[in-house]
Amino acid sequence: MIHLLKSSLFEGMLNIREKLGSFLVTLLMVSLSFMVFDIFLVVSWNVGAVLSDEQENVGIELFLREDVSEVEAVNLADLISAMEGVRSVYYVSPLEAEAVFRADLPEQADLLMLLGPQFHLPSSIQISLHPDYRTSEKVGGLARTVSGMDGVEDVVYGHEYLPGLTSAVDMLGKLVVLAGLVLAISLSLVVANTVRLAVAKRALTVKIMSIVGAPGWFVRMPFLGEGLVTGIAGSAGSLLLTGIISGILSSSIPHNFLPGKWILLVLLLGASAGAAGSWMGMRSGIPKPRS
Amino acid sequence: MLISFRNVSRFYSDWPALENIELTVALGEFLVLSGPSGAGKTTLFRLIWMGDLPTSGVVEVSGYRSDRIRTGDLPSLRRKLGIVFQDFRLLSDRTVFDNVALPLQVAGASPRAVRKRVFSLLAEMELNHRRLSYPHELSGGEQQRVAIARAMVAHPVILLADEPTGNLDPDVSKRVIELLLEINRAGTTVILATHDPKQIPAGTARYLYLDRGNLVNPTSWHGYGPL
Repeated sequence: MIHLLKSSLFEGMLNIREKLGSFLVTLLMVSLSFMVFDIFLVVSWNVGAVLSDEQENVGIELFLREDVSEVEAVNLADLISAMEGVRSVYYVSPLEAEAVFRADLPEQADLLMLLGPQFHLPSSIQISLHPDYRTSEKVGGLARTVSGMDGVEDVVYGHEYLPGLTSAVDMLGKLVVLAGLVLAISLSLVVANTVRLAVAKRALTVKIMSIVGAPGWFVRMPFLGEGLVTGIAGSAGSLLLTGIISGILSSSIPHNFLPGKWILLVLLLGASAGAAGSWMGMRSGIPKPRS
Repeated sequence: MLISFRNVSRFYSDWPALENIELTVALGEFLVLSGPSGAGKTTLFRLIWMGDLPTSGVVEVSGYRSDRIRTGDLPSLRRKLGIVFQDFRLLSDRTVFDNVALPLQVAGASPRAVRKRVFSLLAEMELNHRRLSYPHELSGGEQQRVAIARAMVAHPVILLADEPTGNLDPDVSKRVIELLLEINRAGTTVILATHDPKQIPAGTARYLYLDRGNLVNPTSWHGYGPL
């Protein structure tokens, strides 16, 4: 079996050596196509990171009526913390609210003095949510529920920007999947065509191998290997090129390159597109053992 | 019987390439199949190596039946056969050694075993000095000997030779026929398709004549050919 695998590998190398020129052209085509995808991924990754940061901050703030005592507020916070989707709650007393105001807006601290000592900022409860509950619909639902609770004056949860943010995150995810799918299909077709040409060029070899008793997989493996190598090397080449461009641009446009998981995903996509292309190319190219 | 054709017909569209063939070949036989172009000799060969299946009837080769064989069984059947073509069908990008070694390599033989067998066979065929040559550097006779070596390298039970002398001059043809007779004497069943059955010495083979897809009664022959 090992000798058979070695022979099959040798056949694959013969395939590539015989048409090195067209193999390199295909490799370049695959790399450049993947590069467009990689650049799109880098942009998506960075935009996605910004959107995720925004989404991380999504929460609900309840402003309480002035007549709600601290004990009542804490009881209310306990009640809310037991609700579905709530990760944590934090009670902000009027004094703490004032301290925060002074720290965040020092230039407007005079405003509090103008309003006089009898004025107090309202106490509030800050609700932090589980990641799954940071969507427009779920936050809205929870906000409606808590707004009806006794002692609640007002509810703030960013209802103006949250639907847009949620749909932007959704859209970005879908766009990445769609772009990956389109790229995988188009690259499969490129590889399929290359493999079909390779099979046509080696028609006699394929025929003779079949006649002398080569198993089907032995005949197909070199072509499958060629597709895999094209897909993996093409996607790796594109990552290298994109990495170089990313490095050059990083000083003028601060951004992050793709994380390891995404790099692996690009390589996997390349391998899958290559294997699928080989399969398509062989399906129409390699004659049946009885033909 | 090593090979049997039971009422075998093969039609391509409506054209009968072979009709109602009844044929048996025993182990160690030398069978000469003659007939004009288009008589069905190549179709008969294709049915033996099961590159094609009969439209009706059953072909049985070394225990493999055409009506039961699966695609996965074809490699093991074909490793029992050696096939020689009129146009040699050598792989132009490989040396003589690599061409001859191919059937052993696809069968998973170790490199050592491949080298031993190929060197020994090339020596027998007087081709050792040509082992590193490419097919286009060889004469027609040498190419056909390489093709025979490739067919014989895996010790086949049956050697099918489809017009092996069709592209060769008479002297070289004679040498190729002698080689086939030697192979047969060593125990391999040989089936030779030829336009010129007179090449085979009388009494060394069984003769069959195909005409428009039908086997003609051998009694209508005068030993070496049809009336």
